[in-house]
Amino acid sequence: MRIRVIGIGSPHGDDAVGLAVAEAVAGGLPEGVELRVRERPGLDLADDLGDADAVVIVDALPGAGAPGRIQEVDPARLAARRELSSHGLGVGEALALADALGRRPRLRVLGIEAGDAREGGLSPAVAAALPRACGALRRLVAELAGERADA
Amino acid sequence: MTERRTVEVGALARVEGEGALHLTVEDGAVTEVRLEIYEPPRFFEAFLRGRAATELPDLVARICGICPVAYQMSAVHALESIFEVEPEPAVRALRRLYYAGEWMESHLLHMVFLAAPDYLGLDDAFEVARQHRAEVERCLGLRALGNRIVALLGGRPVNPVGVKVGGFTRAPRPEALAPLADPLRRARGDAEALLHWIESLGVPERPIEQELVALRHASEYPMNEGRIVSTRGLDLATPDFDEHFVEEQVPHSTALQCRVRERGPYAVGPLARVHLNADRLEPAARAAYDRLAPRFAATDPYAGVFARGIEVIEAVEVALSVVEDYEEPRDPDGPAWEPRAGVGWGATEAPRGLLVIRVETDERGDVEEIRIVPPTSQNQARIEQDLRELAPELLSGSDDNARRRCETAIRNYDPCISCSTHFLRLEIERR
Repeated sequence: MRIRVIGIGSPHGDDAVGLAVAEAVAGGLPEGVELRVRERPGLDLADDLGDADAVVIVDALPGAGAPGRIQEVDPARLAARRELSSHGLGVGEALALADALGRRPRLRVLGIEAGDAREGGLSPAVAAALPRACGALRRLVAELAGERADA
Repeated sequence: MTERRTVEVGALARVEGEGALHLTVEDGAVTEVRLEIYEPPRFFEAFLRGRAATELPDLVARICGICPVAYQMSAVHALESIFEVEPEPAVRALRRLYYAGEWMESHLLHMVFLAAPDYLGLDDAFEVARQHRAEVERCLGLRALGNRIVALLGGRPVNPVGVKVGGFTRAPRPEALAPLADPLRRARGDAEALLHWIESLGVPERPIEQELVALRHASEYPMNEGRIVSTRGLDLATPDFDEHFVEEQVPHSTALQCRVRERGPYAVGPLARVHLNADRLEPAARAAYDRLAPRFAATDPYAGVFARGIEVIEAVEVALSVVEDYEEPRDPDGPAWEPRAGVGWGATEAPRGLLVIRVETDERGDVEEIRIVPPTSQNQARIEQDLRELAPELLSGSDDNARRRCETAIRNYDPCISCSTHFLRLEIERR
């Protein structure tokens, strides 16, 4: 069973938090858990869902709560728009495409509420949430690995 | 009595950016076609003034998330013509490999995700994935290979960096390229199979008269070098661009429209490249062209999807030969050069067609003026012309059918309005 963690984000502002979490946990995940980062999820993310049994996505969440708040998101809530376009391919579209192709790994999504997504580094609130986000990610991975043991 | 009907489409899907199409039909005749482009211009040309030549290739890469390599290539060639820098052959070969990767990414996305739903009569790409899983898997696998090539040379898959005057900031070691050889050998068969599938979909035919413009190189299928030629006899060096082409402002669009000075609208892109350079294709791509030759007998915009399929095979062939023959550049940084004042032109073949950049530098080598002529703004007047010619056929059918045919006609050009300027809401007014 292959578990894959995918940090998603652009290098700017709080949108980078998915990348920052991935960087922070690198080397500290259980053996055999693969870590990837994606700056543009799109079709690459659909690829990432292709040959894994379980996938954890870590990404910034836009504008619904206090910056730095961490929550697990139901993948079903990341609905795809109906149409694809080359620039407008996001996480929801990638998940829908993977589903249409029968690529359905066990999927958990960890969201970190973003504040300022403009240029620059992480905002203080989001930077302060990094250790908790890494902890939450490790717990999700451990749960998935545990499910593997039970299976 | 005047007959008048109106059709509106909220947003044109599967193209980039925002805009609207407005058709006015009076008593069975099309009286007006306006491709309204209303996203704000992005002012790239203005804010690049004053930037150092060394920054330019990285900055222009940000114009487009789909074809950053194209902007880098046209910009770096313009600068090299000013500073009189001649990259060594190994650098030249790596640039072809880099471009091949981008062609693969862009063409595969268009063929399977943007265009195929039209020919299959399906609503969207998700439905294509459900019903034609093997082909979509094939497409994704090939695209990922293109992605890998771009990431290797651009340093990262998105907003690539690494291109510089005379070379690359870091050239790959031969052992970094070698692992691409086997996947590329397998990719050739996949690319051929994908084109066969597209051929089986019953892509419509609509032969029309249009002038096609592309680069032509002395011995290779064009990517980074060549003269600008056309199907109606143009043959010029890039610095003579303004003698033969004109960019015009039109009131309904924030994009400039291009015309051949003597004649009018023209088209650039894979269709133009194949029409003008079929004799330069590598053997496997040439074989595909020969099979499809009847579709290229006339300048039919619907054959654009076949041109993309042929160019995916070509890109795989080019990439494989670069990888197989690769010798590390002696000096990846390129020869030393002195900043100077001058004017330089760069014309290269972006996935969507000819991309022309004119740069003027001051004595420090900083950008004094830059003009960027992207493929979509060159195609815009031609798309309007295409719709004007198509419209009479649509009058008898349903509005829904009219809308679908207009959208397909526009998608044939794979417009990328977000790049330079911008696209689409469809409104047909029949009165």
